[in-house]
Amino acid sequence: MQRNKMTNDPIKPFKKSIADSQERLKALSASGQKTIGYFCTYTPIEILHASGFIPMRIVAGAGRIDKANAHLPDFICPFMKLSLEKALNGRYDFLTGIVQGYSCDAACGLINIWKDIFKDRFFHTIPIPYNNTPESRAYYRSAVFELAGRLEDVGGHFSETSLKDSMDLYSRIRSIQLELYDRRHKGNPAVSSSGLMTIVDAGFLTPPDQYLSMLKDFTDQLPQDPRATKDGFPVIVSGSLIEEPGILDIIESSGGRIVADDLCNGFRQIFPPHGEGETSIDRVIDRYMNRFPCPARSRAIHRSKRLLDLARDSGARGVIFVLQKFCTPHLADYPTLSEALKKNGFASILIEMDETWQMEAQLKTRLESFFEMMGSVA
Amino acid sequence: MEKTQKSTKRLKAARELQKVVADYYLRCMSAKSEGRPVGWMPPMNGAIELFYAMDLQPVFPENWSPVCAAFGLTPQNFKVSEDMGYSRDLCGYLRNIIGYVHGLMNEKDSPFGGLPEPDMILSPGGGCVPVMKIFHALERRFPNAKVFYADLPQVAVEDIKDYHIDYAMSESQRLADFLTETTGRRLDEDRLQEVVGLSDRACELWDEIMSFRRYRPVPFSAAEMGIMFVMVTLQGTQIAVDYLTRVRDEIRQKAETGTGVIENEKIRLFWDNIPLWYNMGLFNYFEKFGGVVVAETYSAAWSIRLDTQNPKKALALKSLMSYPLVSCVSIDKRKEMVLKACRDYAIDGVIFHRNKSCLPITLGQMEIKQALERELGIPSVIIDADHMDERNFSLAQFQTRVDAFMEMLLERKKLTG
Ligand code: SF4
Ligand code: SF4
Repeated sequence: MQRNKMTNDPIKPFKKSIADSQERLKALSASGQKTIGYFCTYTPIEILHASGFIPMRIVAGAGRIDKANAHLPDFICPFMKLSLEKALNGRYDFLTGIVQGYSCDAACGLINIWKDIFKDRFFHTIPIPYNNTPESRAYYRSAVFELAGRLEDVGGHFSETSLKDSMDLYSRIRSIQLELYDRRHKGNPAVSSSGLMTIVDAGFLTPPDQYLSMLKDFTDQLPQDPRATKDGFPVIVSGSLIEEPGILDIIESSGGRIVADDLCNGFRQIFPPHGEGETSIDRVIDRYMNRFPCPARSRAIHRSKRLLDLARDSGARGVIFVLQKFCTPHLADYPTLSEALKKNGFASILIEMDETWQMEAQLKTRLESFFEMMGSVA
Repeated sequence: MEKTQKSTKRLKAARELQKVVADYYLRCMSAKSEGRPVGWMPPMNGAIELFYAMDLQPVFPENWSPVCAAFGLTPQNFKVSEDMGYSRDLCGYLRNIIGYVHGLMNEKDSPFGGLPEPDMILSPGGGCVPVMKIFHALERRFPNAKVFYADLPQVAVEDIKDYHIDYAMSESQRLADFLTETTGRRLDEDRLQEVVGLSDRACELWDEIMSFRRYRPVPFSAAEMGIMFVMVTLQGTQIAVDYLTRVRDEIRQKAETGTGVIENEKIRLFWDNIPLWYNMGLFNYFEKFGGVVVAETYSAAWSIRLDTQNPKKALALKSLMSYPLVSCVSIDKRKEMVLKACRDYAIDGVIFHRNKSCLPITLGQMEIKQALERELGIPSVIIDADHMDERNFSLAQFQTRVDAFMEMLLERKKLTG
């Protein structure tokens, strides 16, 4: 590809970091550096980091379910099924435990089920408030202190100073990620959308200081000059966690051009990069309260406004919803969102993915006819 | 056996229930003309007592779903919501009520004259995702209603700390203020105490009623579960207390005279997860094997005793505990409850309804199942079905699994005596 002047594959370090993550975290944990897992990006990872742990997002990837069937019904999202499957296969043995900011019912149930299976580990759920009021913030603050206290029981040391450092670190990471998103919005993407997703995914699995320097290396090499915009019908991809970045390539090779996203492993967990407030804890709380909303914690009607803004900002003309099968929060919002989009002249299509993430042929056919209908494939 | 079927009811009180239900919905419909503002709310929280204390009319859209199922209206409602784009993978309560408010409700041709439009909506932040989404959809459907954005920590019962209770109490104060602002009515502390007393009395009666299920033969089975209606919609009223008193008297009399549900009770069963509202007759199916469904998880969670000396805190605790007790928020607690019930009621076997329509209650069932086998040696069977959507229920599969299970239990009984 002649897309930029970079030698080799610029995404390679991120891919490698993902591929090596298990070995690396295992080795770190053997040397005394503990890791704590989380499912959902509403988990305030700054608190984990400030307490001395590496926060690692549990990812499921693609695969087949075998052992997890003994614990779960069929009608639960692939993310939860496969992450349990992997845990049962020993993939997450190095984790000290899991901390989960209550998001959806599936994640809530799964942390309980993990707890039942892995009895010697640490588990904690933070019931995050739904309202954004002074009272709910005060309540959230107590919840943060409870978490910090519980982390101390498993070797953590929390202080406001360390929290400030952790916040600064994550804020720098998110700001760089946002710059990359910004370039895509402006029609001058630094990498392909699947590449961008790989970069983001690596951030879930790499110790944050290391990840920050990888990001810096990456941006240092980026060419400054704007390049010609690619062809294709401009779309936003919205949905749950996409485990297979190749899906984005399929969308683009079927006639679409991804200009923005509203994804769990995308824009939603990056924006805003930091919060405001007097103390570090206030700032953490502020950020989580003002996050680009996830359907598990917000109203479809509010999300549709945000989606429309995102579409206008990025020049998108349609939305591709890519959902994990059985993902209740997203499925429940879909009718309201698609209706609001339609009213405002935006097209949308719904795609549900199972745990194999392999439905390329079927997906391509559907997407091609969608883009064709939109009159984009000239 | 039919795919949709009503249960055989043997209690006089269960037959009397029809009138209690009809009266309740009549009161809902006449509320506006009688000057009682109507509020729609999710079930299982302390808001119901606040409503009755302020003489407001609470309406429970989720409870309307079993009514629709009993009247065979669910398929129609599903069609409306599915045409709107709601996936068949979503909870049946959600698809039913959204379908109803956008369909039949407008046509007014519904059971008990239908539901009155809400003046207020208590939209929960907390509980399960489908219940939140139901209310978000209702907010849009009834734009003239005043909406209260509630917030309640989703915390496991065993993890409740003071700060959770404080927050729940401040939320319930905020709700009381909202109700005053919206309706002009003030909350009278004495009246609240009285209502909480009635609510607690209903729970006490409920616990007493349940205690008669320890008798062998058992005086009533899950087929009579409809009596729970008053625990859902009328907690905090004299109506509930009076009705439950009659239920208690009848059941006590049956227990004391050794009058069982069936003549020759051989197998005592426990049911986990919500019943199949369109086929309550399933609870009678076991009878041909001498089996009776003696207890269930679903009913236990509706009885939370309240400290009448501290009504506000009691209501906050009730709000915090109700949903976790039946859902995956507190799997440990649920496990403990099921095991205890199986011991207390001398259960021989457990039926796990793996409910396609309710992930929060279904999650954790396998852990409970294993614990039952490991700790009590109680066998169980899984039934794949759905509490609202009969399309997800296969009668043939049910019969095959249940027949084999019952035969196995009978065989075991013979061996162990
Ligand atoms: S939000 Fe959806 S994809 Fe994510 S854990 Fe919940 S159900 Fe699964
Ligand atoms: S608890 Fe289950 S049945 Fe009730 S609304 Fe939630 S998902 Fe539906």
